Amino acid sequence: MQDPFRWFWTAMIWGSIAWYSYLLFHVGWRGGRDIVRMARSLSQNNRVHDPE
Amino acid sequence: MSHIALTPIDWTIIIVYMIGCAAAGVWMRRYVRDVEDFAVAGREMDLNLGIASLAATEVGIVTVMYAAENGFRNGFSGALPGVLGCLAMLLIGLTGFIIVPLRTAGVITIPELFEKRYGKRVRWLAGVVVIIGGLLNMGIFLRVGGEFLIHVAGLDPRATFTLFGLELGLLETAMTGLLAVVLVYTVLGGMLSVLVTDYLQFLVMGAGIVVTSAVVIWSVGWSGLVDGLQQAHQSEITMVDTHDLSAEQLQHYQQQRPAALAEKKPADLTPQDKDVIADTLPEGAKLVKMQNPFNPVQSCGGWWVLWQALLQIAIMTTWQTTIARVLAARDAGTAKKMYVRTSFYFVGRFGLPGLWGAAAFLYFTNVAGGLPLGEGSLTALPMFLGHVMPPVLIGILVAAMLAAEMSTDSGYLLTWATVIYNDIIGPCLRKPLSPKAKLLTVRALVLAIGAFLVFYGLWYKLPGGAWDYLALTGTVYMASMFALLVGALYWKWTNSVGATAAIILGAIGPLAYIAINIAVKSVPDSWLATVAEYYTVDWAGLAAFVSAFVGLLVGSLFGHSASPEPAA
Repeated sequence: MQDPFRWFWTAMIWGSIAWYSYLLFHVGWRGGRDIVRMARSLSQNNRVHDPE
Repeated sequence: MSHIALTPIDWTIIIVYMIGCAAAGVWMRRYVRDVEDFAVAGREMDLNLGIASLAATEVGIVTVMYAAENGFRNGFSGALPGVLGCLAMLLIGLTGFIIVPLRTAGVITIPELFEKRYGKRVRWLAGVVVIIGGLLNMGIFLRVGGEFLIHVAGLDPRATFTLFGLELGLLETAMTGLLAVVLVYTVLGGMLSVLVTDYLQFLVMGAGIVVTSAVVIWSVGWSGLVDGLQQAHQSEITMVDTHDLSAEQLQHYQQQRPAALAEKKPADLTPQDKDVIADTLPEGAKLVKMQNPFNPVQSCGGWWVLWQALLQIAIMTTWQTTIARVLAARDAGTAKKMYVRTSFYFVGRFGLPGLWGAAAFLYFTNVAGGLPLGEGSLTALPMFLGHVMPPVLIGILVAAMLAAEMSTDSGYLLTWATVIYNDIIGPCLRKPLSPKAKLLTVRALVLAIGAFLVFYGLWYKLPGGAWDYLALTGTVYMASMFALLVGALYWKWTNSVGATAAIILGAIGPLAYIAINIAVKSVPDSWLATVAEYYTVDWAGLAAFVSAFVGLLVGSLFGHSASPEPAA
């Protein structure tokens, strides 16, 4: 493969597959923890403010 | 279409996922106290949840379909918008351009910022233009999503069935059913439900995209794919897209086209055969060839590339669903980090479905003997996947695509409902509504937009590629919103006259293009046809940006401002 565009797209596609795989585990794990923290914070806010 | 792709285990995977997702979304309802919780999750969103939500919302079935269509027509060149989007998001995240002062301003929507800077009239006008562009843009989501699901399941999109004496279309029923599930949790839980369901959808969607890419590469081979695309381009292999023809037109075409040509594979057609096909092409049908699959400038044109570069910067700074994550972030620093860390995701957003679309092109030219009657570049991908994906994996893929569609629909329903309430209805009210009434109004707006999607999706037929339609309808408002954001945040001397001029002039170019292309169908031999030939989509897009900035600058220089003092 001599064409630089071919190398570019090869890098982009394989890089994307690798990146999506990494994000799946890394962001998946940490995002779950964010949800737990957010739910706790919202519960505390609900107790402080009178609900409508 | 006779190949039914889904087995009972696939249906089980799909149903379990749908029930779980809807239940999680409804469960979040308990935390919604007011419009701020409903619209921006009480500003409690942290970095990783923000990344998952942004990634999930911005990848829907419509994304997969238009990216795949780009790949089907242009090979890897069609993925250029993704690369440009990545670069734009990265630069904006690193510099904080637009997003830092916007987050610091503490607004819920961009038009709300414009009121602080340019006055209530500009806010209202901006809201109207945002909604026109936004709803036209979203109008095709449901239909495209429905087409994907029907085709990947191996069903006939023109099929009907009878229920309680009523004849119902399979595609329209699929569309409405999907929307109903999304409406339940979006109306009840707002952004909080959207965040949690986006997270689940991110997981399933991410797994589906990785697995599908692996299966597609395994089925074609990487060298086979790259060499095959090059060869298809050089040989000018041609297929006929008859997706937009009615059942009667298809029948007529089938009878009058040369039978010998219909049985030839696309790779075996001679130049004389291609001339005959072009001469006998019915109105509404199109010829499809592989453009340069690696060089986007040769494939799509230099002006198109320039328009796309400007568009991506505008998308990353003004597209309401993207900006909503900035506004929901804990602080400006979190927003910047979210942008930097999400940026490369956008390469795959175009690149991976584009890979599938490119592989679908080779499948239809080399294996399937051309596109089936009634199908085209938009529906090629789901048909291809229905054939190559094995059981269980196709169940995961369909669940992933449903996840993608639901996260996108919920995000956009909420976004546009919030803009309509905040920026069109709100400024017209003499007395603000109570928090309960506000919440009820936004929920009612979500339902109303859902109804619009069903009817617009049933009626409207795409004039060309799906991405160009979406890019242009988005440009209706993004061109002027981008100019106004730059003016509002960085050019303190701009005023309300310039802002009004920017909004109106920025919308004229794209709306004129849409109007000309609708009108020319009624009077094909008039002067309009000549205009349509030269006023192409990339010129309309570029004209919008130039007009918006010129309007802002010239209008501000010559206009008299009645706007309030800029907020500190």
